[in-house]
Amino acid sequence: MSTSKKRLGSIVRHGLLGIWAIFALFPLIWMLIMTFKSEADVMTTTFIFTPTLDNYRQVLLQSDYLRFFTDSVITSVGAVLISVLLGVPAAYALARYKFKYKEGLAFQILSFRFAPELLVVLPLFMIYQRMGLHDTYLGLIWVYQLISMPLIIWVVRGYFEDISVEIEHAAQVDGYNWWQVFMKTLVPLIKPGLVSSALLAFIFVWNSFTFPLMLSGFNVSPVTVAAMRFLASHTVQYGQMAVAATISALPAVVFALLIQKHLVRGLSFGAVKG
Amino acid sequence: MTPSQTTAEIAVIPENINTVQFKTRIRPYLIIAPALLVTIGILIPFAMSIFYSLTNFDFRRRDYDFVGLRNWIGMFTSDVFWHALWVTIRYAFFSTGFALLFGLGVAMLLTSIDNAFSRILRVALVFPLMVAPVISTLIWNLMLNNSVGIVERFLNLFGIFGFPWHASHGTAMMTAVMIDVWVNTPFVIVLIMAGLQSLPKSPFESAKIDGGSAWFNFRKLTLPILKPYIYVALLFRLMASLQEFGIIFALTSGGPGNTLMNLSLSAHQRGFRFFEVGISLTYILFLWVVIFILAKQIVKRWQIAQRTATGRMADGSEG
Amino acid sequence: MKKIKILLCIALIAALSLAVIACDNNDTPATPDAPAQDVTPPAGSGDFDWRAHAGTTLNIMFNQHPYADTVIERIPEFEALTGITVRHSVTPEENYFDVLTLALNARSGNPDIFMTGAYQIWDYAPAGFIQPLEDFINDPARTFPGYNFADFYEAVVGALRWDLVPGNMVGTGSQWALPMGFELNNLAFNQRIFDEHGLEPPRTTEELLTAAKALHEFNGPGTYGVALRGTRNWATIHPGYMTLFATWGARDFEVVDGRLVSRVDSPEAIAMTDFWVELIRYGGPPQWTTYTWYQAGASFGAGNAAMLFDATCNGYFQNYPAGASAESGNLAWLPGPLPPGATYSRSNIWIWSMAMNAYSQNQDAAWLFMQYFTGPEFQAWAGTRNPDAPRRSVSTSAEYIGVVGASVGYLEALEADLPHATIQFTPQPEFIQTTTMWAATLQDLVAGQYSSTEEAMRNLAERKTALLANVEIPQ
Repeated sequence: MSTSKKRLGSIVRHGLLGIWAIFALFPLIWMLIMTFKSEADVMTTTFIFTPTLDNYRQVLLQSDYLRFFTDSVITSVGAVLISVLLGVPAAYALARYKFKYKEGLAFQILSFRFAPELLVVLPLFMIYQRMGLHDTYLGLIWVYQLISMPLIIWVVRGYFEDISVEIEHAAQVDGYNWWQVFMKTLVPLIKPGLVSSALLAFIFVWNSFTFPLMLSGFNVSPVTVAAMRFLASHTVQYGQMAVAATISALPAVVFALLIQKHLVRGLSFGAVKG
Repeated sequence: MTPSQTTAEIAVIPENINTVQFKTRIRPYLIIAPALLVTIGILIPFAMSIFYSLTNFDFRRRDYDFVGLRNWIGMFTSDVFWHALWVTIRYAFFSTGFALLFGLGVAMLLTSIDNAFSRILRVALVFPLMVAPVISTLIWNLMLNNSVGIVERFLNLFGIFGFPWHASHGTAMMTAVMIDVWVNTPFVIVLIMAGLQSLPKSPFESAKIDGGSAWFNFRKLTLPILKPYIYVALLFRLMASLQEFGIIFALTSGGPGNTLMNLSLSAHQRGFRFFEVGISLTYILFLWVVIFILAKQIVKRWQIAQRTATGRMADGSEG
Repeated sequence: MKKIKILLCIALIAALSLAVIACDNNDTPATPDAPAQDVTPPAGSGDFDWRAHAGTTLNIMFNQHPYADTVIERIPEFEALTGITVRHSVTPEENYFDVLTLALNARSGNPDIFMTGAYQIWDYAPAGFIQPLEDFINDPARTFPGYNFADFYEAVVGALRWDLVPGNMVGTGSQWALPMGFELNNLAFNQRIFDEHGLEPPRTTEELLTAAKALHEFNGPGTYGVALRGTRNWATIHPGYMTLFATWGARDFEVVDGRLVSRVDSPEAIAMTDFWVELIRYGGPPQWTTYTWYQAGASFGAGNAAMLFDATCNGYFQNYPAGASAESGNLAWLPGPLPPGATYSRSNIWIWSMAMNAYSQNQDAAWLFMQYFTGPEFQAWAGTRNPDAPRRSVSTSAEYIGVVGASVGYLEALEADLPHATIQFTPQPEFIQTTTMWAATLQDLVAGQYSSTEEAMRNLAERKTALLANVEIPQ
């Protein structure tokens, strides 16, 4: 009886998970199917149609998509790199030192993540125009810090808090200087958190829409904005938009697969770690 | 930071305390400064927004006058604002609530099963996060179309025809929330899974031997330790859904009628469509104040929950 | 294991970026070598010189649109002819005017030229963002001799003139922009479907309603009579609705004692709106409130809608070229349907046009760009791609008629409607706000949130009049 109950429980659990999986993944599969449909077929067929690579040809060869993709790579990777370089030391300081306004400062940094984009974008446009940052890589990388920096600081800070000072101490007794201690003992310990928060930051930055829409356009144009262009013409080119969206999701998917293990374990946000 | 100093300082600290008070007061500020400087840029726009909200700044006019609190009073006395606030609250409540509920449920299911199926899903279920929300919304929009959409064909199999989805006053909110939940639940799943993986094994074993029911196990053992994670998820989801713009804008532009006109959409419409920037910024500043206060409260609770959870885990591993 | 993963990661990034760089290089031709065969730069008469501003850089903002595509395709030739460097941005229409407003408000002179519609002029021109063009058009030293301004249809080019007085209709005042292309609004129908059901294409509103009702679910659930726009946006009001509103004899505003008073509660307006609501309820798309230009056009092209009451070229792009949609080749056009007593349709007109930034520091160079891309030679070439050419010399050319005339009834319908077409809205500074209100009210009305059309329109008229109470009309 107990085993049949267990089996029933297992079936129910698999069933529920299966339902969620269909809900979560079907739109993506549908998007993928759409990439192989001609414009007429998108509107008239479901699963049976003559597949075509025309959409891929159009997007990859006939449009500036690869230029937009490069823009996305430069701005997103640049933004995450800067967040890591400046954010990890900041996280260390917020974890290790006791100083006035520490919690206030930490919260202030986090709160940037929640500032409404519309509030920032309008004054920032005027500032950027005056400073010559409008429509530049640097301008976008800078504004992206609002998205990526708080995330990285807060996750990594949690990791530093959990590392015993004794470890640092012991390493120093072994004759390592501070930099060596940092790189050899601390960095490996915070790696899961760093890698997963960096990936998440990368995803959020990569998918950002309002900032690049308002703050760039002539020289710099990331894929999110560019993908919309395939829709907003005389006819709806859903197939081409689907190609643009699918390719634009690829880097994040590949990274997620590579850091699969860290991804989940790493996001503990300074909460308890086993 | 020179190595010798650090060594000397660390040597004098009591060994069981992780946070250390250093004599140097300025150093931590110096270390944080670059990160802060980079993000502080936002404070300038923020200050400018406060200023403009006290003016009648309008895109169509070159000059603007200081109007005191007129925009603020106008906002609080307008029906449009209270309607938008009510829409904002309902949208945030439902989309955050369902994302947390489903995120928690799916994460627990994923950890309770250990086979190829769940291992594949642990990665695959994160994928919706990787498509830009604007584009996801457009794909949903197409899928939900009564004439050409795949969802309609699927529902037809069950004898349901022409379900209106985002087209009708009664179901538009539900549809927008559904898409929001689709886009954002993966983030919650990842967070909760991180929490579940940090659960110590020992208290569970002992509780199970004591014959605790599944619900008892969850409430008394799992939940307290998951709490910090749930607070983080709540923090990120609530703050984002209170100011959701992209999904609703791409789905219905706030319609039908004014059904989905929340504070963000109202502010966007006021500022960018009707050019009344001063009024628009008043709306968005109000939203920002609400978000700031709420975030502060949640962070406080989260830190308490974190301390409690750490304590429990220590107990658990000792017991 | 870990190292392998990291290596793999690096290799992947390297490969990706290499591929991207390589493709990038192949993609952009190093030299704009397309010869300008059909564009012969007219020999310099007087002082006019195409190369007068060689070395200047121009910034241009486009909305994503076929009219923009044709211009962008020919930019290399313009650059070769003039020695001017052109940088451009293309923004999706949903967000285009947001970005444009922000850019113009910065008053930095960037962009030098931008794409705009006529309604936006009513906001941008009083704000001082737009440079009037008559001084350029009438100056032989600045405009090449073959430009031939008189060649534009007056209905089209006149709609881009306005005297900046709220309540005064378009047609007089400064020339704020020049047309790239225009759209009228009329009735397109699917010949195949009409033949199969033995129906006659409707010429009156009564016939339209009967046909739309008869074709409700003509091919199962999800298929319907007539595709119409319905989102919460001014774009819902300006095509079919405004065309029929004007044809029915209704007006949106009237000037009473120096104030704008909304007239959307007039008997004609109420009767027309009543008809429209019935048309949507019994013959319109099932999810009408989600229908934009794209849904309306695509659903007509896919054969889910038997008719389309919308912009002329929306249906056209579903019909031409062959294979553009499932029903391409089956679509045909009629002039706008007539209500009882009307003898012709008063089509509302929409004009995608080019305007010059008043703060541009390169206005003379910008004018070279504008006259090149609104000039007869370029527009003749563009006319073989897009319908609705704003120049008479283009739309009467054999080549244009050969291409566009292949769509059944298209040119005939256009010819019938064009003499009576203009902007049917009254220019006023709150155009976007009042039409957005109008669209939201229409959505509420169709959903049954009002007890009657009269109640809805009274309420709407009150709100509109109140909104414009402070608008001063100079005498």
